[in-house]
Amino acid sequence: MEYRLRLAKRMLFNKKGSLIGAVLAVTIGILVIHVNFVIFQGLFDAIVRDISNYRNGNVLITDEEDYIDKSDQALVSWFERIPYVEAATPRLSSSASINMTKFGTLHEETRIPIVGVDPFRDIQASTVHETVTDGQYVFAKNSIVLGSNVARDIGGAEVGDSLKLKIVDRYGQDQIRRFVVTGIAQSPGGQGFDYSVVVHIDTLRDMMNRNGESGSIMVKLNDPTKADDVKNFFLSAFPNDDFIAETIEESAEEQLAGFRSGIAMINMIGYFGMMSSAFAIVTIQMMLVNGKTREIGVMRSIGATRKDILVIFIFQGMIIGAIGAGVGTAAGLGYTFYAKETKMSFNNSLPLEVSYNWEKIIQTAVMSFMLAIIASLYPSYRATKLLPVEAMRTV
Amino acid sequence: MVKALDNVSFSIEKGEFVLIVGSSGSGKSTLLNMIGLLDRPTNGKVFIDGIDTSNLSDNQISTFRNKKLGFIFQFSNLLTDLTVLENVLLPREIAGTTESAEKNARELLKAVGLENQINKRANKISGGQAQRAAIARGLINHPSIVLADEPTGNLDSVTSKIIVDLMKSMAKELNQTFIIVTHDQQHFGDADRVITIKDGKASEGNQPSELEVLV
Repeated sequence: MEYRLRLAKRMLFNKKGSLIGAVLAVTIGILVIHVNFVIFQGLFDAIVRDISNYRNGNVLITDEEDYIDKSDQALVSWFERIPYVEAATPRLSSSASINMTKFGTLHEETRIPIVGVDPFRDIQASTVHETVTDGQYVFAKNSIVLGSNVARDIGGAEVGDSLKLKIVDRYGQDQIRRFVVTGIAQSPGGQGFDYSVVVHIDTLRDMMNRNGESGSIMVKLNDPTKADDVKNFFLSAFPNDDFIAETIEESAEEQLAGFRSGIAMINMIGYFGMMSSAFAIVTIQMMLVNGKTREIGVMRSIGATRKDILVIFIFQGMIIGAIGAGVGTAAGLGYTFYAKETKMSFNNSLPLEVSYNWEKIIQTAVMSFMLAIIASLYPSYRATKLLPVEAMRTV
Repeated sequence: MVKALDNVSFSIEKGEFVLIVGSSGSGKSTLLNMIGLLDRPTNGKVFIDGIDTSNLSDNQISTFRNKKLGFIFQFSNLLTDLTVLENVLLPREIAGTTESAEKNARELLKAVGLENQINKRANKISGGQAQRAAIARGLINHPSIVLADEPTGNLDSVTSKIIVDLMKSMAKELNQTFIIVTHDQQHFGDADRVITIKDGKASEGNQPSELEVLV
C-alpha cells in the first residue's frame, strides 16, 4: 500500500474518537438529505399518486367546451387499443345540495361536489372504490357513495340510509332524486372523495340533462412514463376536436407547484446541513493535524516534502468521506427501506410514496465524498506550513 | 536579539566521528538543526558536499535530507502509528526506492538487535529498543552524514553504552560521517573530533574552522 495512504489510515484509525466524529458528521449530512427526500418527495409523490389514482389518471382528457360530447364508449375503446393503456373511464362532475332526515331531524348540506362514474370501468382505471371503508361502491343507478365528511355533516349517514340530492341542470332547473347510501368513502391525505359524493354517471347525465356527454376521460397507463406518447398520439388522432390532453404533471400542476418549491427549499436546507458537516470535518481534521505536529516534523526531517504531508491529510479526508458516504448512504437506504416497507405515514395521513432514486442517492454520496475532501484541504494546507524544527519542538 | 550561534565556522571530513558538546542552552542543537537543514541561519551558509544549501528550494532540501542525511533524535521520534519495520522503511518509501527496501530494513534491524520486534507497534517497545530502531531508520538510505541529537540523553547508562557502541560500529563499518550532539562527552569516549559550543561560539582546541561538511 502507498505509504502516505497507509500512514493516513493509521493516523486516522488510531484516533477513533476523531474518526467517528468526522464520519458521523458526513453520515448525518447524508441522512438528513435522505430523510428529507423520503418524507417530502414521498409526500409529493403520494399526492401525485392519489391525484392520479382518484381523479386525473396518468392522462386526463377534457374538452375546451367543458363537456366531451363524443361517445365515451368510443373514446374508451380507442384508448384501450393502445398497449400502454391499462384502462380508461369517463367521469362527469357537478355540485349538489343534499339533505337527509335522521331521527326526525333534517340535515342539509349545499355545494357538495358530485362525481358521476361508470362503475364497471371506474374500478379498472381508478382506485376510488378501494377507499370505500363501509358498504360498497356505486353499483346501481340510485346508489350513492358518500365521502366520510359528507356523511358526518348530514347527521351521520350510514349505509342503507335514504337521502335526497338536488342539482341544477343545464337549463337552470332543479333536479331532485332520491338515492340509497351504498357506501362511505374515506381516504387519508385529502385527495380522495371524503368531501364529495359519487353516483352512477348515467344518473348524473340524466339529472344534468347531458345525455351522452362526459366531463373528462381518465386514462390509466400500465407504463406511466409513456404518458406523453399517449397524449400526443391521442391529440394527433383527433385533430379536429377541441380536446385537451394533459399528463398528470400538467393536469395537477396547480396543486403541485407549491409543493415543488417547498421541496426545493427543504433540499436547500439539507445541503446546508451537509455544509455544516463539512465545517465539522475541518474542525476535527484541524485537531488531528495539531495532534500530529511531532509526526509531521519527524516526517519532514526524514525527507517528506510539503506535498507528501498535504497528500497524507487529503487521504484522511478521502477516507472520512468514503466511510461517511458509505455509512450515510447505508443508513439513508435503511431509512428508505423502512419507510417503504411500513408504508410510512404521519398522524394517519396519506402513506408516503417512497422510491429509491438511485441517481440522487449516488449524487448525494459523491457530493459528500467530494465535500469531505474539500473540507480537508485547509487542515492539510496548515499541516504543510509547519516547519520541521518548530514541529520537533513540540516533543 | 539573542544569538543562538555566533561566528561558528568549521568543516568536517567524510567518515569522521564528531562530537558537538556543550551545556544545556549553549546552542549545540541549533547547530545540528542547521547542519541538518531543519533550520536556516539568519546569516552565514552551510555547505554540504560542496553545495551551498542556502540556495536550495524547500523540495530540494527535503530530498537532500532524505538522501544525504540521517537523523537520530533524543526521544527516538518513531511514528507510533507504524510498526518498527514500517518506521525503518519510511525514509526509503519517501525516497520512492522501495526495491529491496524491506530486505535492507530487516538486515539493519537485525544489526541493531531488533529482529524479533519488527512487527511491534513503535509505542510497544522500550526506550532503548526505540532508539536502536531510530538508528536503523537513520541509516536505511545510506546517508552520507548521520546527525544525532542527544541520542543517549533519555537512556540509562547500560542502554546508552549499547547505543554508543552501535553507532561507532556502524560509522566504522559503513564509513559514514557521524555528528553527535551531547552534553555528556564521557559516554562516547574517543571521537575523531570534539567541537565545543559555549554561548553560541564554537571552539575546537585552537583550530579555527569553517562550517563545511565534506563527504
